Amino acid sequence: MISKEGLWIVAEFEGTRIAPVTLQLLTKARAIAGSRPVAAVLMETPEADGEETLAQYGPDEIIVLQAEGFKDASDRALAAQLTQLIQAHQPNAVLFGATPAGRSLAPRVQDQLATGLTADCLDFYYEENELVQVKPSYGDNVMCEIVCPDRRPQMASVRPNTFAAQKAQGAARIERVPVSLTPDDSCVVQHTALKIAATTSLSGARKIIALGRGANKDAVVAGARQLAEKLGASVGVSRPLTDRPDFTAEQQIGQSGVTVSPDLILNLGVSGAVQYQVGMSGSKLVISANRDPKAPIMAQSDYTWTGDAGALVAALQELL
Amino acid sequence: MKIVVCIKQVPGSNRVKFDPITHNLVREGLAGRMNPFDENAIEAAVRLREQVGGEVILLSMGPDATKETLHDGLAMGADAAYLLSARAFAGSDTLATGYILAQAIRQIGGVDLTLFGRQAVDADTGQVGPIVATELDLPQATFASKIQPLAAGRLAVERDLGAVTQTVQLTLPAVVTVRAEANRPRYESPIAIQQSLHKPLTTWTDQDLTLDASRIGQAGSPTVVRKVFAPTPPTRAAKPLPEDPKAAAKALLDILQAQGLL
Ligand SMILES: Cc1cc2nc3c(=O)[nH]c(=O)nc-3n(C[C@H](O)[C@H](O)[C@H](O)COP(=O)(O)OP(=O)(O)OC[C@H]3O[C@@H](n4cnc5c(N)ncnc54)[C@H](O)[C@@H]3O)c2cc1C
Ligand SMILES: Nc1ncnc2c1ncn2[C@@H]1O[C@H](COP(=O)(O)O)[C@@H](O)[C@H]1O
Repeated sequence: MISKEGLWIVAEFEGTRIAPVTLQLLTKARAIAGSRPVAAVLMETPEADGEETLAQYGPDEIIVLQAEGFKDASDRALAAQLTQLIQAHQPNAVLFGATPAGRSLAPRVQDQLATGLTADCLDFYYEENELVQVKPSYGDNVMCEIVCPDRRPQMASVRPNTFAAQKAQGAARIERVPVSLTPDDSCVVQHTALKIAATTSLSGARKIIALGRGANKDAVVAGARQLAEKLGASVGVSRPLTDRPDFTAEQQIGQSGVTVSPDLILNLGVSGAVQYQVGMSGSKLVISANRDPKAPIMAQSDYTWTGDAGALVAALQELL
Repeated sequence: MKIVVCIKQVPGSNRVKFDPITHNLVREGLAGRMNPFDENAIEAAVRLREQVGGEVILLSMGPDATKETLHDGLAMGADAAYLLSARAFAGSDTLATGYILAQAIRQIGGVDLTLFGRQAVDADTGQVGPIVATELDLPQATFASKIQPLAAGRLAVERDLGAVTQTVQLTLPAVVTVRAEANRPRYESPIAIQQSLHKPLTTWTDQDLTLDASRIGQAGSPTVVRKVFAPTPPTRAAKPLPEDPKAAAKALLDILQAQGLL
C-alpha cells in the first residue's frame, strides 16, 4: 500500500544512473518531511535498476513503474502516467529536479492536476501542511516565497546541486505499480547522444579552482590549471572569463551557468556578484584570494587572502 | 504552415523594485522589452515560413504597453499580432496564463505549430509552453536547438537537454520551446519597422474569448507569492591567511591537509 499524504520525489536518470539531483532531493526531503513518508517515484525500463541506488538515500518507499516503453517515452506519455499515479494516491507534495527533463514534465502534470508549480526553487520547508517554496526571480536579484494554499499536491522543481546528497539508513519499501503505456506516435525519438561524460562535468566536482577577472592572465590561468591537476580539482570560471577561447559556458559557475557544491572551492580574482555567489554557496570550504579586502566574495569565504592572485598561485606551485 | 509565436514583455532590466505591500512589481518608469528567448522563437518561425510558406502570428498577454513589443516582433517579420489584455487577466500565474493563451490559440484556429521561448527571464519558469501544449492536448519538444521541416506535416527537432542531445520527429500540430542556440535573431531594418506599422494588431479582452471565469486571473492561479526579499549572501568566518604569499600558501595547504582535502 502506498502511503497517503507523502512527499514524493520524481526520480530522473542521467544515462543509466540515477541523476545526482534526485539523490540531493531525497536527502533534503528527509530533512524536512517530519512525519510524512518520503517516496521516490521511478519510471524505468525493466532492465534498469534505479531502486538499489535510491534505497541508499533513505526513502520510506520507492514506487516503481516499469515498462519497455519508458525508454524514449514522450513528455506527454510520461506526464499521463505520473498524473494517474498522483490522482490515485494523493501525495501532499511532488518535487522534480529543475533539469530540462524535469522542467518539461512537471508543468504537463501540473496542468492536468490544475495545481500550482514553482520552478527552480533554491529552498523549501514545511509550515504545518504548507510547503513554502523559495525561488529566485529577475536573474537571482530577488527571492520569492511561494505557497499553494488551496490545491494539492504542492509541486516544485528544485535547482540541481543546491543541496548535498547524503546516504542514509533505512529499509525502503518497494511498491510496484503495473503500467500500460500507450505509445505516442506524435513525438518519436530518432536519436540520442550523450554530450558530456557526467564525471568530468563541473557540477559534480569535489574540488574546484575558480578563476575570475582578477585571474584573467595567461600565466595565472596556466598556473591554476597545473595546481588543479595536482589537487585533483576542476577549473571553473566567472562569466567574464567565458570570453576567453580556452573556456566555455560549460565551465561558468553561477545563476546562468553551473551550480556547484564541492568540498573545496578556491576563488581567485572573483568579486562575488550575487549571480556568481548563488552558484557556489553550497560549497563546504570556501577560500578566496582577492586584491580588494572589501570584495563581496570575502564575506562569503571561510578563509581569505588579500593580494595578487598570480602571486598566491606561484607560491602554491612552489610548495606542491 | 500556420505558426503562432507566444511572446512576453519583460522588464528592460533585472534590477527591479517591488511594492512591499502587494509584492507586485513596480512597473512605473520601467521600459519593457521582448523576452530575449522569444526573439529566437520568432526567428525560428520566420525561417520556417521562408522554407515552407504560411504565416506567422504573434500572441501576447499583458498590459497595453505590450503593443510596443508586438510591434518589434512584427518588424522582425511576423505577419499579424494579437494582444490579450483585460483587467480579468491580472494576477494570472503560469497555469492561468497557459489556459488563456490556449483558449486564444483555439480561437485563432487552424494553428499547426505554436512556438515559445525556452523561458521568460523574469521568473525563469519555462512552464507556459508545456501548459499550453497540455491544454490543447498536443505533443511538445522543449529546449529546441534546431528545427527542420520534414514532409507530411512533420518537424525534426533537436532538443538540448543538458547531459544529452535528443532528436525527435514531431507530428503537427505541436508545441516547441526554443533555446537561444537555435538561431541568431535578425535585426529590424528601417523598412521592416515601417512595414510593421501597417500589419494587423488585434486586441482581445476576456469578452472576446471563451473562458471559464474560475480559471483566469487570481481565481485561476493556485500559487501565491507571500513574500519578496533581497537575497542575503550567507556570511562566513572570513579568517585571513598570512599576508606573505609563501606563508599564505603554506597555511592554505595546512588547512586542506587538516580537512583531508589533499
Ligand atoms: C542575469 C545575469 C546573470 C549572470 N550570471 C552570471 C553567472 O552565472 N556567473 C557569473 O560569474 N556571472 C554572472 N553574471 C555577471 C555577474 O554579475 C558579474 O558581472 C561577474 O560574476 C563578475 O565576474 P568577476 O568576479 O570575475 O569580475 P569582477 O566583478 O570584475 O571582479 C574581479 C575581481 O578581481 C579582483 N582582482 C583584480 N585584479 C586582481 C589580482 N591581480 N589579484 C587578485 N584579485 C584581483 C578585483 O578586486 C575584483 O574583486 C550575471 C549577470 C546577470 C545580469
Ligand atoms: N503573458 C504571456 N503572453 C504570451 N506568451 C507568454 C506569456 N508568458 C509567457 N509566455 C511564453 O511562454 C514562454 C515561457 O514563459 P515562462 O513560463 O513564464 O518562463 C515565454 O518565452 C513566452 O513564449
